Amino acid sequence: MPLSKAKIGETYKIKGIEGKDKVKKFLFTLGCFEGQEITLISKLAGNYVVNIKDSRYAMDENMAKSIVLSA
Amino acid sequence: MVKMTLTGNADKVGKEMSEKMSLMKIAIAGNPNSGKTTVFNAITGKTEFAGNWPGVTIAKKEAFLKKKFNPYRTAIKIVDLPGTYSIVPFTGEEAITRDFILGEAPDVIINIVDGANISRSLFFTTQLLELGIPVVIAINKSDIVSKRGDAVDLEALSKELCCSVIPITASTEKGLNDLMREAIRAGKEEKPQTAPDFPVNNSDDEDMARQKFVDEIVEKCMVKKRDATKINLYDKIDRIVAHKWLGLPIFFAVMWAVFSFSIGGLGGYLSEYFNEVVFGEIVPDAVNRFLEGLNINPLLQALIVDGVIGGVGAVIGFLPLIMILFFCLALLEDSGYMARVALVFDRFFKKIGLSGKSIIPMIVGSGCAIPGVMATRTIEDVNEKRMTTILTPFVPCGAKLPIIALFSAVFFPDKGWVGPSMYLIAITIIVIGGLLLKKIFVWENTSQFILELPEYKLPSMKYAFWQMFEKAKAFILKATTIILVSNTLVWFAQAFGWNFRPVEDQGLSILATLGRAIAPLLIPLGFVGWQLAAAAITGFIAKENVVATLAVLLSVASEEALNVPGSALTQFFTPVTAFAYLVFNLFTPPCFAAIGAMNSEMGSKKWLFRALAFQLGVGYTLAMLASQAGSLIMYGKPASGFVPAIGVSILIFTGVVIMIRKAEVKRIKLGVEV
Repeated sequence: MPLSKAKIGETYKIKGIEGKDKVKKFLFTLGCFEGQEITLISKLAGNYVVNIKDSRYAMDENMAKSIVLSA
Repeated sequence: MVKMTLTGNADKVGKEMSEKMSLMKIAIAGNPNSGKTTVFNAITGKTEFAGNWPGVTIAKKEAFLKKKFNPYRTAIKIVDLPGTYSIVPFTGEEAITRDFILGEAPDVIINIVDGANISRSLFFTTQLLELGIPVVIAINKSDIVSKRGDAVDLEALSKELCCSVIPITASTEKGLNDLMREAIRAGKEEKPQTAPDFPVNNSDDEDMARQKFVDEIVEKCMVKKRDATKINLYDKIDRIVAHKWLGLPIFFAVMWAVFSFSIGGLGGYLSEYFNEVVFGEIVPDAVNRFLEGLNINPLLQALIVDGVIGGVGAVIGFLPLIMILFFCLALLEDSGYMARVALVFDRFFKKIGLSGKSIIPMIVGSGCAIPGVMATRTIEDVNEKRMTTILTPFVPCGAKLPIIALFSAVFFPDKGWVGPSMYLIAITIIVIGGLLLKKIFVWENTSQFILELPEYKLPSMKYAFWQMFEKAKAFILKATTIILVSNTLVWFAQAFGWNFRPVEDQGLSILATLGRAIAPLLIPLGFVGWQLAAAAITGFIAKENVVATLAVLLSVASEEALNVPGSALTQFFTPVTAFAYLVFNLFTPPCFAAIGAMNSEMGSKKWLFRALAFQLGVGYTLAMLASQAGSLIMYGKPASGFVPAIGVSILIFTGVVIMIRKAEVKRIKLGVEV
């Protein structure tokens, strides 16, 4: 299941990241990669606010779709 | 690296050695928005811009360490680097950090670790530790850490990473003394940094092993009380200020408040006093009396009073307005709200081929277009970057504020909406301009948007005052250099003819002839008079010059101050054409300095030319529209030059249609979708 279909307030385990290597690498440095936890905090103005490690990030739907969660 | 030194000639090595002996270089590196620039400002006494959002610092900055922190005689140079999450670059600005660290080899690296997110920051830390350069870790925002109830075992962390760890709070300068003492000690010692040792399994790659290593350290050294995954107060605020429908109105309300407070409110009031009383009466009267007492040549007296004081004074009079605007903007930027604005705009900007990242250059551009254009460096996608570079200068910068203030004071004294409306027009232009660019040029948008949302904080008054005085200093410097020089030239050009003799009639002067050569181009816009052309042209040197030049030119015609309702300006404009002239000066290409910045960010003359043509086209068309259609609606008849305006409109329209058609053909050929 992609992050774009996740429920608000729930924490998930990341199954994998799809897409370009550059984006994957970048997400990796934030701590967003296979096996890590991610929480969907809110959906705001078409963006997804998530918690990775101890920080909040806002990402657009395109990026949210590329983050695959274990259901 | 070692090989290079060995093969290099002995002289060079010797020189490098002696340079190293005399100067210690300390680099500040860390994640975006971890507070590097705040530390830099505190220890060097500089006032570099440090907003509460990631990616504010876009180029490295250097300064010497303050004496307060430096007990030695030798000078210590501090280098502030753009933030990065990893030593492997992702965007252009991050590449600078890597290049600097690898290429310039500082004596010590101070790694600022965001105490609010230690586990993420340590990834970059472990990469820094492998460079062999002594590293001192500063855990910043330690006040937030303790407020959260989290605890970091500094000793254990120091042991695990083989380097000193100092807790600091950059905003209150707590711990900076200890930090610098430790950094200097490490620099003097010159003991190479021990790299962290972590096993790299065959199945995992190096990065994965690094993450695991970091996770283990965090597990050992940190006790977390707060559950970051829980929805907190800030999230609730986000849900309101970045709300789908409320976000935009809230942003407009905030900006409206800021601009009307600085243009119409306190800023406007103080500027009025400055312009009318200080530079309108007190200063010129005093100087006139003084010069008359000296029995000075009347022409020289006119140069000093009308040229220098009249022109530069007309600009400096707006100083209070600029100071108050920057004070408000600094408070807003420090609060963390701006990152949310990017979020709100992302959805709208997506439609025109941009993303929320483009809003940051534009917000910076509301201060000055030059750093605004430079901030496009944070955008990875080349098309998005180009488009942002083209659109950013449409945001009225601080230098355009005097023009806005002057015209609103003269023509719309009781309509407070005129000034702030220029910012609304700017946003509209950016949206329509973006749509148009997307149609005219063929490009694919592949950008994905992700932005860290910093925690909100109470904006620092000290920082806002600092920023305000820094901007005031820069403004006065500009007024007394560039604007003073161009004003003197303008004064000469309007007082002398081509035979270099003073002219009786300003209409025979050098400036008049030059202005007349350009003036026909402004006829379709309803602007009649070489003076208006001359003022617009000097505006390209610095936008404040539009005000200064008008002040110089009209001081001959009238004794009255320029910025009062019914001043000499009214002989050139109706309120509608005045509005159009304002539009023209605001939305045609920016000043030369900003064009220079565009040139270096575009990296191609072809794109620079396209950008300037686009900006000129947009500003020109819009001013024409405002002037002609506005006059037709407000007065029942068009402004002068209506017939040529129709001709020009047809030309522009056909040109745009042809370009769009061409792009469509090209798109089909390449198989690109809009």
